[in-house]
Amino acid sequence: MNESVLTNYLSIFKRNTHGRFDWITPVMMLCLCSIGVAFIYSAQYAGHVPFSIKDGVLRGIINLLKTFWFKQVFFIGTGAMLYLFISLIDYRVWLSLAHWFYLACLVPLVLVLFIGNEVYGASRWLDLGFFNFQPSETAKAAVLLIVASILARSQVGTIAQSLGVLGKLALAVGLPMLLILLQPDLKSAIVLPPMVFSMLYVSRLSTRFFAGALGAFLLVVGVVALDSYNYVRFMEAHDYSYIRDKGKYETQALFPLHDYQRNRILTFVAPDVIDPTRTKDAWNLTQSQISIGSGGLTGKGWTKGTQAQLGYLPSAVAHNDFIFSVIAEEEGFLGSLTVLSLFGVVMFNGVRIAGLARDRFGKLLAIGVTVLFAVHVFVNIAMTFGMVPITGIPLPFISYGGSFVLSCCLLQGLVQSVYRFRKDFS
Amino acid sequence: MSKGFASNYRIVVLALGIFICFGGVGVRLVFLHVIDRDQLLRYVDKARRQIIPDKAKRGDIVDARGNVLATSRSLVVVGVDPQMLRKEDEAKWPELAALLDLPLKDLERIFITKTRPSKPDDIDNEDRDIRWAKLGENVTEETYDKITALKVKGVYGDRTYCRAYPHNQLAAHIIGYVNKEGTPAAGLEHAADFYLRGQDGWRESEKDGRQREMAQFRTREVPAANGFSLVLSLDSAVQHIVEVELEEIVKKFTPQKATIIVSDPQTGFVLALANYPTFNLNEFNKASLDSQRNIAICDQLEPGSTFKIVAASGALNEGLVSPQTRFDCSLERIEYKGKVRGLPRESHPFANPMLTVADIVSHSSNKGAAQLGMLLGDQRMYDYARKFGFGEKTGFPTGGEIDGELAVPSKWDGLTITRLPMGQSIAATPLQIHYAMGVVASRGRLMRPQIIREVRDARGERVYRFDGSSRGQVISESTAELMAYLLTRVASADGTAAAVAIPNYEVAGKTGTAQKIINGHYSSTHHVGSFVGFFPASQPRVVISVIVDDGHLTSGGMASGALVAGPSFKRIGEQLIPLLDIKPVSPIARPQLVMGGGRP
Repeated sequence: MNESVLTNYLSIFKRNTHGRFDWITPVMMLCLCSIGVAFIYSAQYAGHVPFSIKDGVLRGIINLLKTFWFKQVFFIGTGAMLYLFISLIDYRVWLSLAHWFYLACLVPLVLVLFIGNEVYGASRWLDLGFFNFQPSETAKAAVLLIVASILARSQVGTIAQSLGVLGKLALAVGLPMLLILLQPDLKSAIVLPPMVFSMLYVSRLSTRFFAGALGAFLLVVGVVALDSYNYVRFMEAHDYSYIRDKGKYETQALFPLHDYQRNRILTFVAPDVIDPTRTKDAWNLTQSQISIGSGGLTGKGWTKGTQAQLGYLPSAVAHNDFIFSVIAEEEGFLGSLTVLSLFGVVMFNGVRIAGLARDRFGKLLAIGVTVLFAVHVFVNIAMTFGMVPITGIPLPFISYGGSFVLSCCLLQGLVQSVYRFRKDFS
Repeated sequence: MSKGFASNYRIVVLALGIFICFGGVGVRLVFLHVIDRDQLLRYVDKARRQIIPDKAKRGDIVDARGNVLATSRSLVVVGVDPQMLRKEDEAKWPELAALLDLPLKDLERIFITKTRPSKPDDIDNEDRDIRWAKLGENVTEETYDKITALKVKGVYGDRTYCRAYPHNQLAAHIIGYVNKEGTPAAGLEHAADFYLRGQDGWRESEKDGRQREMAQFRTREVPAANGFSLVLSLDSAVQHIVEVELEEIVKKFTPQKATIIVSDPQTGFVLALANYPTFNLNEFNKASLDSQRNIAICDQLEPGSTFKIVAASGALNEGLVSPQTRFDCSLERIEYKGKVRGLPRESHPFANPMLTVADIVSHSSNKGAAQLGMLLGDQRMYDYARKFGFGEKTGFPTGGEIDGELAVPSKWDGLTITRLPMGQSIAATPLQIHYAMGVVASRGRLMRPQIIREVRDARGERVYRFDGSSRGQVISESTAELMAYLLTRVASADGTAAAVAIPNYEVAGKTGTAQKIINGHYSSTHHVGSFVGFFPASQPRVVISVIVDDGHLTSGGMASGALVAGPSFKRIGEQLIPLLDIKPVSPIARPQLVMGGGRP
């Protein structure tokens, strides 16, 4: 690496940005993070150890450090620094670094399969001592950058013209997705295709391709539906229990799904078939719906939500996957609408920045990040009331989770960078 | 790279797509928050609200001396939640099994069985997780403390009350029992349940997602009011004497049934009442129903000669005869109301058949009694029988009492007037016979048989006191005294039951030997032998009835009242003297009577 390259890299901070800074997204992020901390606190309120120096200052501080909300504050602080750092860097530098970053992110993805912390049969976390790192989170950024980078360099048009690019993309996206699926972590994998497809769409790929993709998607849905139907018939014919006899069908099924995943699908499409009493597989969904609905217009008040506080909404999920239910219960329709609106503003600001971007790479980055966020927000909120299957996708900036907060900050940092380093026509 | 490579139009389409998704979420939220709200709120309320009953402690039953006859013990029912068991506790299983007095194999079987198969009417065919399996029912607090000290996760207990009868079979027919469902099923437990049961309390509160009660959400709380205690007139020392005596009778005479009743003639309160066959209250579920019958009130028999006091008292009370009035007790038939009636045979011959009324009583003459009855006439004979308490319930507090049988004169046949005075053509319960004798002992009053002396609240304060109560004056006091004197002669040297005489005390009483009706005929081999009496005759302290149904003498002779019941009366009486502090009193006033005749 010679000196000119080094100066070139250092100059990334010095380019003239006319002092531009998009305030909309960071302000929304701050609002969302604050809401997140407040309701992580609330979700853990019942039975938490209150901060008290009665047993000594040290004990009190240790107890404080153990609380989820305080950890989240710490992650948000770190995330804010990451956000600033990324937004100060000219995003175009990633055009040439994307493949290095991509490769760097593959390493932990492979590592986690061998030395990851196993929780509930999935190894998704790398224990870094102070922090459990989730490699699939950085993989999202890596896939975004590599796809944007490939698309920015290539000519995309009809399917025939784009075959080479599509092949490259398939490889670039397929590899990390496969590694993530091996963990197994279905939810982190399925957020990637919508992002990639929307980037392809914006890149003016032939609509025929999307028609084909849609057809393929519907085919998969059809096969899954048929498979689920056969599953139900098989279980009923043998008088098997969906819970006790898990795994009996998958040994002879044609479609490679686990029976617990089939149960998830059934919980979504036919909760009364799989769990008529609503006390097992459909418990979370049912209680979450009750939480949201019972909140009414203005809610039951912060830390006053009975569903969350009394453990009807299981405390294991209340502060992360189902935090929206807690907000909706305690702050009511106004609360959930506020959260939805804040995300809406972030989304449309993302789209606006994509429109302002100086080049195709910037545009693709902004769109990719925005769609990725939209998928998270939509799927997370929609699953709390059964509009989509329960997948465990977290709610950006609000759900508890260190890796996720950091990756969200990183991605939004890229969008800020796209905004700051755009060409100024005025 | 140029801007033209990416389509702003497509970005707008994409943005629209995102907007539609968000809009969908928003619409669904409106539905949930606004439209479905009430229904969901109701669900929340229903799932959380619960009413927890607070069991009242059932009152005790104690005897006159304060001995506990029935009580509620606090017990722990120990069970296990097999889902909560930990591997590391397995080493403690043998010790736990030992504490519970349960074979280790059984304990392991319970611990390992984590689910139970679904029942056919379940909504799904899922196995149910077992969250509670009983390990031991009657665990004492002490043992439970040891069990909790073991700290086996998932093993815990529920406190309940369990009815216990410290004296097992003692006074079983009086006390009765509470069955395993907690329903009072017999005896005073059933009859006085109103006092004993108390009032269960309850509290309304809420439960959390794991079904645990949340005390901070208790809204209303009604504490349990513990039941009242009963203090009986029954004296367990007397009851014990009586039951030992019953055992003796059973051993000696192998009767079908037997009853002994002891009461206080002045108040009518029962001091002891026991039947054979009987049962152990703590094992009522193993006892036959026959043994659970209180035959003193729910079985009837012909009273036999003991009933002669009715005709004699009646005739004396009406002034129709004096004790010296003589009757020819050798007549075979006699004219009554224009018809010739056959008189019953005597069970034993008299040397001089001209018997005085006094002799008729002391020698138990059948022909004499019949003539006394005829002297009274149908209606008055019937009225006296009714006034002595026959043919209607005595009003004994425990249930199951029967009326007995006493036909109205219009239903009588030609022989009734000759047979009723000697205790045939009538059926009575042992208790009726006992209280009829009580009339003579309590200056002519028929007393109400009572057994509950006091009702006390949970703190031991008296709530209500029952006093002796009379059901009516049957004969005058002087007639009663005269009768008492005549009855002392039964237990005198030339009476039918000389053997019952207790030294230093005057005993008044009457033997009875009724032939049992077997296949419609009076049997000559099956008898009900009885002795009903009281002492001291001038100031009676106790009335004792001993009734032995179908006893058999080893010698093969007739099991007469004097032989099967008399000795028991004497033995019981002798034991009661120190126990009840019965003092010898001056002898009963002896009217200047000319006594004559009688047995050779």
